[in-house]
Amino acid sequence: MPVDWKRFILILAAGASLGFAWNAFSGRGIVLGQSVLMQAGDELVKAADAKGLLDKGALFLDARPRDFWRMSRIPGSLSLPEEGFDKAFPEVEERLRRASTIVVYCSGYGCEASHIVARKLREKGFAAAILDEGLPAWQDAQLPLDTEPRP
Amino acid sequence: MTLLANPRVQLALRLLLGAFFVYASLDKIASPAGFAKIVYQWQVAGPVPSNLVAATLPWVELVAGLLLIAGVWRREAALVIALLLVVFLGAAASVLARGIDVQNCGCVSVAKEAALSAWPPAWTRGVGWFLVVRNLLMLAGALAIAFVRRAPTEAEASQPTPEQEPSRA
Repeated sequence: MPVDWKRFILILAAGASLGFAWNAFSGRGIVLGQSVLMQAGDELVKAADAKGLLDKGALFLDARPRDFWRMSRIPGSLSLPEEGFDKAFPEVEERLRRASTIVVYCSGYGCEASHIVARKLREKGFAAAILDEGLPAWQDAQLPLDTEPRP
Repeated sequence: MTLLANPRVQLALRLLLGAFFVYASLDKIASPAGFAKIVYQWQVAGPVPSNLVAATLPWVELVAGLLLIAGVWRREAALVIALLLVVFLGAAASVLARGIDVQNCGCVSVAKEAALSAWPPAWTRGVGWFLVVRNLLMLAGALAIAFVRRAPTEAEASQPTPEQEPSRA
């Protein structure tokens, strides 16, 4: 009994169709056309534009765990990790009030920390943009990093 | 090949593989957003292609798994599983080669974080040697279902059908 490739294709097609139907009608679906990390109100900024903001004095916040920030960071950025946000927030609150523009970043790709920190800041009344694709995009654009270790 | 051709072994392979893939699909179907984030974390596809994979992949797993358990279109269902496993292995090789740390592969559960003492342990969740070995074993099983000619059961042997080739018995 040889393999029937029509059935093979049919299984794939049936699975995909059920998946799209479930995504559309189950109420649990996602918006397929944009990053799943995006929610209403999230504002992205591309690495090149973010560099322009940095040059104009924007405040950058590092949403990664603090040990990563200690090793290397976007120049001048402060540590405001997603884990431990409530503890770290008072340390940076004064600087946030003086900042004209705020950009949050994390380690990029599937990294959700920058989105979560930006939303928490929004709840506290601070508008913060999210660096699109995070640090990898910053490095791909050959933008500077501060690699001097911090205590 | 006599062992793999044994009808009981073939049945066991079908049920094990089918049950694993049905089980693996359920949590992903229940939370598409959680699974889409994990697919994106593998960094093998951009955000939108990751979403398409996340929406469709668990349902292909479910359909193929159910067909395997039911024994309907078993060769084709096993080949679909084999195709998925080859894709998973290729993606895992890419993740490992680039040194990306994926703590939860999203293979079975999409729960964000598990306690260190949790069962199953962390090394079964990440993209690492366990995933590679497990997928290679399952791939061998799927190919055995698809391509090894099942030997007749005793009942079938006593009532020869035209499909059988006596010379191979």
